[in-house]
Amino acid sequence: MAEAHLSNDDFFARLTDLFGHNRRKGHGSVYLTQKRLAFDHGSDAPSPTKVLDDPLWDMHPESPLPILIRASNNVSSKGDGKGRPITDRKNVEKIKLSTIVPPGQIDAFYARYAEVCKAGMSGLRKRDKKKKKKDKKKKKAVEGETKG
Amino acid sequence: MPYFATSTEWFEQSSLLLKARPTTTRITSKYTVLRPSASKIRKRKKYLEKRPNLSSTNNPSSTLANPSEPTATFKLKTYDPVSGTCLKYETNKAAEVGRLIGSLGKLSRHMAALPDVVDDFSKPTEMEGIETPTREKDVKVEVGVVEQKVSTGGGGGKKKKKAKK
Repeated sequence: MAEAHLSNDDFFARLTDLFGHNRRKGHGSVYLTQKRLAFDHGSDAPSPTKVLDDPLWDMHPESPLPILIRASNNVSSKGDGKGRPITDRKNVEKIKLSTIVPPGQIDAFYARYAEVCKAGMSGLRKRDKKKKKKDKKKKKAVEGETKG
Repeated sequence: MPYFATSTEWFEQSSLLLKARPTTTRITSKYTVLRPSASKIRKRKKYLEKRPNLSSTNNPSSTLANPSEPTATFKLKTYDPVSGTCLKYETNKAAEVGRLIGSLGKLSRHMAALPDVVDDFSKPTEMEGIETPTREKDVKVEVGVVEQKVSTGGGGGKKKKKAKK
């Protein structure tokens, strides 16, 4: 990767910005990816012989491995009128973030991660609204029956 | 691969996949807000006109309540490029996000090759908090479906009542 990984704190700050950016725009996507970071560490890197000796080497690594977390938005462009039709969209550049979570801090990281995501994903349907609507629905149903 | 109906199912299958292929499997989550196109809005309006029962006030789905409202979804995808396995789950409920990120955290313990044991005191309470709402939710969804059926069939019921009178 060309860009350096952010610290966990910076990552959360930038991720909040990313969600805010998405909210201001009114539409768009936020992608979050997580995977094991296995190949950056010289000692844990699988040599070909090691893989041959034990094909399931990754099932039981000697030490816990860090997790790589990436976040990005979707690119959007006006279109050039040739390959893609010209739209009324604005050109949006790709924003890419990444951070490495050491194995010891996974629980703490995910607690904060959940908070940031819950706050950021404000477009999703709220539970309270639904309940109110259900109540209304019941009331309406009752009214309908009395009228009928 | 199709979407799983429940997040617990997705979580179980994903953790099995991660146990089998911890190095290559990745989990991608996508939060999307989609502004409906003009034709989509027209379609939604038509649909609402067809079914007066689903008018804005007594409709549980906000996308239908307001045809021009953007649809927001949260999708989870566990993918292993080596075996080509892809496990997906999609939701549009804000209440599920916390629980889903929690399960992402648990899955990342598999990724990090950390033991699965419950070493924190906070963990068991989390587990309880995570499992109970799913059951509630399932029940709620079923209730919602039943209610919808009742409401759509309500017209027939009313007619019968009138006939009796």
